[in-house]
Amino acid sequence: MNFDINTLVYILEITVGGLLVGIGVHFVPVGGAPAAMAQATGIGTGTVQLAAGSGLTGLLSAGLMMSVTDNIWLIIATGAVGAMIMIDATMLTGSWIYAYAVGTPFASAKVNYDPFTGFSQPPYIGPGTVGQGIPTVCYVSGTIGAAMGGIGGAMIYYPLVQVNNNPAMSAIFAIGIFLVSAVLASWNIQGTIEGFHDPKFKKWPGAFKACAVASIILAIVAVVITPIGGV
Amino acid sequence: MTVGGGAAGAPQAIDPKKIRLYGLVGSVLGIYIAYLLNAATGTNVFSLVGAVAAIFGVVWGANAVRRVCAYGIGTGVPSIGMLALGMGVVAVLFGLNLAEQIGLGILGPIIALVYSMVFGFIIGTIANKVIKFNIPIMEEGLTDLSGAGTMAILGWSFAVSGSLAYNDMVSSVINTGFLAIIFICGGLAILHPFNANLGPDEKQDRTLVNAVMVGGMATIATGVCSILTLGLAAGVLQILVGFAIWYYFYVWFFRLVKRDAAAVVGTGMLPPSVL
Repeated sequence: MNFDINTLVYILEITVGGLLVGIGVHFVPVGGAPAAMAQATGIGTGTVQLAAGSGLTGLLSAGLMMSVTDNIWLIIATGAVGAMIMIDATMLTGSWIYAYAVGTPFASAKVNYDPFTGFSQPPYIGPGTVGQGIPTVCYVSGTIGAAMGGIGGAMIYYPLVQVNNNPAMSAIFAIGIFLVSAVLASWNIQGTIEGFHDPKFKKWPGAFKACAVASIILAIVAVVITPIGGV
Repeated sequence: MTVGGGAAGAPQAIDPKKIRLYGLVGSVLGIYIAYLLNAATGTNVFSLVGAVAAIFGVVWGANAVRRVCAYGIGTGVPSIGMLALGMGVVAVLFGLNLAEQIGLGILGPIIALVYSMVFGFIIGTIANKVIKFNIPIMEEGLTDLSGAGTMAILGWSFAVSGSLAYNDMVSSVINTGFLAIIFICGGLAILHPFNANLGPDEKQDRTLVNAVMVGGMATIATGVCSILTLGLAAGVLQILVGFAIWYYFYVWFFRLVKRDAAAVVGTGMLPPSVL
């Protein structure tokens, strides 16, 4: 490898990408197993699955755009839009099931009034549950989180392709970095979160510090790798 | 949600230090034996020894998962398995590439293992100090998991590529996309045993036998992949060995389930009214 100013920029881009993934996870309304039984607000699966799903869709769409252009802004925007579509589609179809199959009203247990619609929430929370479904505030929060995850994924993927010229290897490497950041962030959340209005959201500096250390180490390792045949 | 075990740590019949030693020595030796046998005979039939080496790593990792997750990590067992494989895949690529760059390609697995265990220790320290998990064995557990994830990916990658050279590994495992299969099947082998067996009656031997069983199934999957990369003979042999491992340990696992269950009863066929 040859070390120059570009290498430093690549390390910085990968680190920022890892940080965006870590913070973005805090925005996604993760309900886990309780939400799958409509006893908590959010999407009924774990943080890692959601983060990996949105991140991989972001990677795929960023990779597709990268086969057409080298413009980093277009690639990052495509990654963000891909991840947003994935999370939004998941939340929308999940909402249909909560509304028409399970038959629950959507209500957040963390705010008294939905900041976007202004609707009162507490009367609709079922006894013994902590909210149900995906209310508007969670939907908006999830979309923001997916955008950050997608931008993060694209910002990890772009410099990797510049370093090793191999989209397949860059993708799998980006998934590795993505998973480390997402798991650290989900450990920081400890279970379920509703979005930026949840009191747990204030814990994000912990994930910021953790993902910063992990991403810098992974970024330094990533830029050392040489392309195939270039050894 | 992890509920099993409580804060006292998981009960264990086999000492974790012993399992770590078996896992480390078994996986590293296995990969080198496979490499030497392939090189000495000039064939790639012995690549399946790499898959057996990966199963040693899997048992090591599954034991680390049950030790850490018995404390309750709050996000479900799969997250820690995905973290192990995420750290592993970075370590494998880095180790193999760095070894080629310094001109000692054969040292790739050692470099990958050392790097991954150091990185796992750092992540474990972060988890305890920054995220404030306060799990006493977190550093140790993540060091083990990171190393186990690396050896699992490396072992099965060798079983598919039949070579330790970085270029062969990239062209036959990564560019073909087979690494995704290894990633998920290897991840399942490490995370699934504790996820399936957790609870107050979780027993170490049942969990670890389950790990080898899932490892056998992953070997069947890599065998299918290696038909394309290594040829029909090596691939089919690997599928057969994977099937034999799966069958033997499935029978063993079922015996342990019957031992630990209050009762095992047949429900019979579905009643005619529901068909």
